[in-house]
Amino acid sequence: MADDWQPDFEQLVDEHQSMVFSLAVRMTGDCGLAEEIAQDVFLELDRHLGKIETPLHALLWLRRVAMSRSADAMRKRRVRGIDQWVEIDETHGAILEERPTPLGSRLEGLLATLPEPQRAALVLRYQEELTPEEIAATLGAPLATVKSHLQRGLKLLRAKAAIHLKEYVRGA
Amino acid sequence: MDELECELREALKRQPAPSSLKRKVMNRRSVTQRRHVRMVWFERIAAALILVAVAGAGVLWRHQDEQRRGEEAKQQVFTALRITGHALNHMNQQLAAHRRAAQE
Repeated sequence: MADDWQPDFEQLVDEHQSMVFSLAVRMTGDCGLAEEIAQDVFLELDRHLGKIETPLHALLWLRRVAMSRSADAMRKRRVRGIDQWVEIDETHGAILEERPTPLGSRLEGLLATLPEPQRAALVLRYQEELTPEEIAATLGAPLATVKSHLQRGLKLLRAKAAIHLKEYVRGA
Repeated sequence: MDELECELREALKRQPAPSSLKRKVMNRRSVTQRRHVRMVWFERIAAALILVAVAGAGVLWRHQDEQRRGEEAKQQVFTALRITGHALNHMNQQLAAHRRAAQE
């Protein structure tokens, strides 16, 4: 069955645009930049379409390249001296108190303040529901490092949630 | 999985991509493809021009080489004719001297 599969670019865009865009937006925190990254990722897929062998291969390839391009974009932004996360971190508490938003989006906001490797591991773990082994393969990182990022990320997120989110303060 | 992890999983559900994303990707793809086709033609034309130039230079070089060889051969023939003429003159002089000596 897989031998008969021929990649259809338009269909692949339809199927995976949400995944690629969501990864990029959660890694960069910038919808405009995420859309540009998603476009670049799909155009790169178009150039490599001949090498894509199965639908699963396409999914794994897109996930890996989306993470890699998002990291590149953030690195470029850091070189240019724009660090949005610092800005978010400094104003985050005030925004939460002034405008009550659903818990999910506030949690997503807190996630955005985590260091990049921890955020990447958590996004792949909870958005894509990958195992640590799959995350390690996607990021090209050692399994132990990924497990450490997941643990530290969750610990930091829990600490931030206890400070910033009333629900967790009450729960504590 | 604790409460935070459940909330996180809920919060990190995939977001729908902007409706314009697919259109922009397809537009950029067609622009890239057109540019690629233009590049392929440009490369073909450039390769053809280079081939024509190389072939022309080869023909010209061969023509000039033949001319140079012809000129060299011509000079060799003239030299040989001069030498032959010189030898014949010398021989005529000797024959004349010999004939005079015989008559005396």
